[in-house]
Amino acid sequence: MKKKYLPLIIAAGLITFFSACKTETGFKTLIITGQNNHNWKVSSPILKQILDQTGLFSSEIMITPDKGGDMKIFNPDFSKYKLVVIDYNGDSWSEKTNSAFVDYVKNGGGVVIYHAADNSFPAWKEYNEMTGLGGWGDRNQKDGPYIYYKNGQLVTDTSAGNGGSHGKRRAYLVKTRVADHPILRGLPVAWLHGTDELYSQLRGPAKNMQILATAFSDSTLGGGTMRDEPMLMTITYGKGRIFHTVMGHADEGGGPAMQCVGFITTLQRGAEWAVTGEVTQRVPWDFPSAAGVVLRPDFKEMTLEEAFTHIANYDIVKSTKSLSFIQAHLRSLAGDAAGIKKIEEMMVKVLKDKDATVESKKLLLRELSWMGSDYSVPTIKELVSNAELKDEAEFALTRLVSK
Amino acid sequence: MANKSSRRDFVKRSAALVAGAIVLPQIIPSSALGMGKKIPPSDRLVIGSIGTGSQGMSNMRDFLKLKDAVHFVAVCDVDALHLAKAKETIDLDYKNKDCRTYSDYREFLDKEKLDAVSIALPDHWHGIIYSAAVNKKLHVYGEKPICRTIKDGQTIVNAVKQNNIIWQTGSWQRSLFNFHRGAELAINGRAGKVKYIEVGLPDGNKGIGTPPVKPVPPELNWEMWLGPALKVPYRGISHWDWRWILDYSGGQLTDWAGHHIDIANWGAGLEHTGPVEISGKGVYPVEGIFNVPVEYDFLCRYSNGIEMRVANASRLPLGMGTTWHGDLGWIHVDRGDIITASDPKILNEVIGENEIHLYKSDNHWKNFVDCARSGKTTIAPVEVAYRAISVALLGEIAMTTGQTIKWDPDKEEIIGNPNASRLLARPYRQPWQLPTI
Repeated sequence: MKKKYLPLIIAAGLITFFSACKTETGFKTLIITGQNNHNWKVSSPILKQILDQTGLFSSEIMITPDKGGDMKIFNPDFSKYKLVVIDYNGDSWSEKTNSAFVDYVKNGGGVVIYHAADNSFPAWKEYNEMTGLGGWGDRNQKDGPYIYYKNGQLVTDTSAGNGGSHGKRRAYLVKTRVADHPILRGLPVAWLHGTDELYSQLRGPAKNMQILATAFSDSTLGGGTMRDEPMLMTITYGKGRIFHTVMGHADEGGGPAMQCVGFITTLQRGAEWAVTGEVTQRVPWDFPSAAGVVLRPDFKEMTLEEAFTHIANYDIVKSTKSLSFIQAHLRSLAGDAAGIKKIEEMMVKVLKDKDATVESKKLLLRELSWMGSDYSVPTIKELVSNAELKDEAEFALTRLVSK
Repeated sequence: MANKSSRRDFVKRSAALVAGAIVLPQIIPSSALGMGKKIPPSDRLVIGSIGTGSQGMSNMRDFLKLKDAVHFVAVCDVDALHLAKAKETIDLDYKNKDCRTYSDYREFLDKEKLDAVSIALPDHWHGIIYSAAVNKKLHVYGEKPICRTIKDGQTIVNAVKQNNIIWQTGSWQRSLFNFHRGAELAINGRAGKVKYIEVGLPDGNKGIGTPPVKPVPPELNWEMWLGPALKVPYRGISHWDWRWILDYSGGQLTDWAGHHIDIANWGAGLEHTGPVEISGKGVYPVEGIFNVPVEYDFLCRYSNGIEMRVANASRLPLGMGTTWHGDLGWIHVDRGDIITASDPKILNEVIGENEIHLYKSDNHWKNFVDCARSGKTTIAPVEVAYRAISVALLGEIAMTTGQTIKWDPDKEEIIGNPNASRLLARPYRQPWQLPTI
């Protein structure tokens, strides 16, 4: 995906291009990029993929002129879009474009502010009211207070000082502050985010802003403020809704910050909320918890078929992700007999498969013990004579045949 | 020995007399328990320990503080290093070399002539070893949670009933002032009629991922450690980290059920019943052998209309602890001597003579020893412990199946859900078996 588009992006000073294979459904979305102190050539196509794969968005990437270029030619028609994603940190846009963007938001347009986009446009008052908080670009006390949590209390700190910093990159724990907000509803209240810059000391007007999630900026772990710093925020501006995520620093291939399922999911949900004020997306099965970072190197959620292919090759040194997927799938079925039967059939297929590993069969026999039916029993009985599987087969049969 | 034996018989007869009689909470004056009197050696409670890891040793030290009220004679563990440390601790205390050691609980129970045993093992062993000790007619100080499954719990409760022994669960918060006071205020309606209870238990531990398979250390009998659990390669989880693996434990949820859920039941009069409907969600790790829920949040409805929400602390406004919400306010208790209320005046309320006075103990281990000697019921008897852990185990089943579970607390059965019902028991690896009820 990235490789295919890269020459195009580089060649064009200002282009808009469309996903070639996807029919245009979903909310029309504009991703603005083209200048950034970060690798926007990596991040923008990934943002597009993350959003479009929900089926809710149909996004286009628009690239501004290069640094020092003529911004008069950057003149998007915002009225065509339901959502504008800012992956931009660079030269000021023209007055006309600024004013068109302000009108777009005031009239109810949705916005996503992504990572270094909150570094951009330090002098543009309305933009800073949309981001709520920003950093760098000579931001200081003139731009608004620092906002953070300290000892569980929300602090508005007007003390003098520069805005924006981050310590050494690391994985960090993100904590929910507003569990019943549509964006975070149903998500774990604490989860580990893949290695990223933990933004701190952001400051800004912070009007009509709600901090949804924070992370502790720990000075003992490579520099920090010892405060719980805002990670996810919502802001309203006029009739418009803005979702602001400070996460997602792009390395080659996206890296752990963008591949993190927590980043992906909150971006998808935040984007939907920015457009509609609601979130209809289900929580993905692989959303991380405090137990560990979860990455999707290809940004896609595993399918049931993939999970069964993986589990058939399971060995004790391999990833248990596919088992977790199957267990999560069973939970999501909430007792639906037909759905469970389908899984049972897939499990029995693995049990019968001579090429499937012994360890994969052990895992599946444990699951079958509670959700299986008479359908599984003959296959499991045959496995009792297999010395390696005897214990697990008996475990399953004890539950399945006793009334 | 002859003296001890007849005393044991006497205690068992008195236990038989009082069993079933104590239903209402009551105060037992400490003077009745012979506090302060010198105990003759023949009246010492002869005790041993099975499981001498961190909790087993902690209990042992608390018993040793009772000096001549108990006499430790033997210890048992599948880890030779733990066993040696336990013997050393006892011998040092008694200034002799007499403490006997065993690596197999069956030999320990067969050979030793004990009055009582203190047991602290991974949960998957509780069903078998608690029952075995009780069936030997020993008084038991048993660690919470008393069972890994409902079936294990039913077996243990029945064994205790049949053998008329004294049981104390390691739910020691009951013997602390603030928990007792909070429960007594709640049950006497000082926050109004209790309608809703929140129970905050610890957030799931950080992941242990998938530790590499290692050689079993020479001091450990791994096969015996696993016992009834399915055979898996050794990954160094036999001490402490077993708590995060469903084969052996339900994680923080089941570890702490015997504390804050138990206290919740105490203050709401739910000690001898269970919920009728349980629903909720868990958050499970995506990777690794650590597979207990990292977060959990479920709601239990009781037949009298009370609702109890059990969740990891970060999900609740007051975090850790038990909060009884009545129609007039709330009362909250937690570790660290915490007792708070919606109105501080509630905390100064006096409980009248004719109101409910909950059982009072100020030393959980001494309460066990006193009761074992007197035949009286302890502050944390087995049935009550079973009802506390049942809440967590039913929550676990609701989260595992993704379904709302209907439970009959009298028949102790799941209603109309054969799949979920299978999770009430965990099959044992042969040749291990639970004694039949």
